[in-house]
Amino acid sequence: MNPYATSIMTFSLILGTTITISSNHWVLAWTGLEINTLAIIPLIAKSHHPRAVEAATKYFLTQAAASALVLFSSMTNAWVTGQWDITQMNHPTSCLLLTAAIAIKLGLVPFHFWFPEVLQGSPLMTALLLSTLMKFPPLTLLLLTSKSLDPALLTAMALASTALGGWMGLNQTQTRKILAFSSISHLGWIAIILVYSPKLALLTFYLYTIMTSAVFLALNKIKALNLSMIMTSWTKTPVLNATLMLVLLSLAGLPPLTGFMPKWLIIQELTKQEMTPAAMAIAMLSLLSLFFYLRLAYHSTITLPPNSSNHMKQWYTSKTPSTPTAVLASLSILLLPLSPMMHAIV
Amino acid sequence: MTYLMFFLGVCFAVGVLGVASNPSPYYGVVGLVLASVAGCGWLLGLGVSFVALVLFMVYLGGMLVVFVYSVALAAEPFPGAWGDWRVIGCAVAFVAIVFGGLVFGGFMGAWKFGVSTVNNVGVFVVRSDFSGVSMFYSHGAGMFLVAGWGLLLTLFVVLELVRGLSRGAIRAV
Repeated sequence: MNPYATSIMTFSLILGTTITISSNHWVLAWTGLEINTLAIIPLIAKSHHPRAVEAATKYFLTQAAASALVLFSSMTNAWVTGQWDITQMNHPTSCLLLTAAIAIKLGLVPFHFWFPEVLQGSPLMTALLLSTLMKFPPLTLLLLTSKSLDPALLTAMALASTALGGWMGLNQTQTRKILAFSSISHLGWIAIILVYSPKLALLTFYLYTIMTSAVFLALNKIKALNLSMIMTSWTKTPVLNATLMLVLLSLAGLPPLTGFMPKWLIIQELTKQEMTPAAMAIAMLSLLSLFFYLRLAYHSTITLPPNSSNHMKQWYTSKTPSTPTAVLASLSILLLPLSPMMHAIV
Repeated sequence: MTYLMFFLGVCFAVGVLGVASNPSPYYGVVGLVLASVAGCGWLLGLGVSFVALVLFMVYLGGMLVVFVYSVALAAEPFPGAWGDWRVIGCAVAFVAIVFGGLVFGGFMGAWKFGVSTVNNVGVFVVRSDFSGVSMFYSHGAGMFLVAGWGLLLTLFVVLELVRGLSRGAIRAV
């Protein structure tokens, strides 16, 4: 893409995110959300392939409808309570509309249908932006209004998200779709703890961002768009593949890796809030996604892929070192011993 | 007056339903015109005549004109007109959904919202719509910049998407 256009879109993404996160008036929050939506459309449709254009169209339609619902909920709240403060969202109908709107924006079940297809149609780096940066402003709005939201609805959506994120990811061979379903299940974990401990939800989101950024950057380096490309990539970047295995296991939530920290703290908090069946359910539903994480991890480290014996192996192409991947991968693997500090400082 | 506002609201809803039930843009735009005229009338009833005029000029005179010009360039040999079975079916279904929503809403207490005007009365009269726009230029300068950047961004996004010579999203151009 033209460098001027890329810089305008990147600047608008940063501007939109900053506006929504730092606002305390609903109209400004909505403006930031709309700027984000607009700016990422050309980034999704960058390759001009029909699938990319369809993904951009689907993204625009769902996000525009969700923004309209956000505006609608803030307007009904302003009509009833007379003020536009984000933290003072007291009217129950407005809270319900807002929850639905943010669920559409994030991709929580039952509004998740757009997410895998949009991620599949976009390039890997744009998919990374869609999974991490574009989730930050809507999540901020949920965090700011968390004390007025309905716990039952959020718990139901969270459990369904974890379940469907796990189940629908089982049959996928395209890495971007697998990561889309992984995002949906992690959002389920975030949503279930949102009402009881917003700080834990934020911590989960931060750690999910770190881990999924590491995965996307590693996949971008080996250009792995489906499982067969991962299987034959170990010859190019053996160390990166080994690290990718560990980062994927961290995403799955296995101790002693970082990904265990949010799950552990969330289950502890849910049990303290007398929600033990929900804690049990969400932990067991995460086992579904563990299967496809394990499959991805196995494929990234397999040294004898099921190709014909005389297939050409790609050998040691020239690799430029990538600092962000290294830093994010290290953080995704080694942060668990810092759990007491992380819980205190978030 | 209440009946007039209610009638304008019904016209608005009917216009929007007309847009939604017609897949052809040539005929759907009629619903848009009806909806925007009814919305304008509603704003006039609320007393904010300036905003109503702005809506008329920008929406009907700007957006809709550009839309009609672009749609006129897209040929469609057999567009679905108002008498087609698909259009009638969609319209009936949408009217049924809206009616069901109204009835259900009536039971849930959604009919208790009222309508009031936004003018002040008395010695010190401030017109809310005019003074709101002027506030945009004084205390609201930051929001003005952000809104202006948002509109400029829309232009750049659309230009990037429809870049010609197969570099844009539309490869036939």
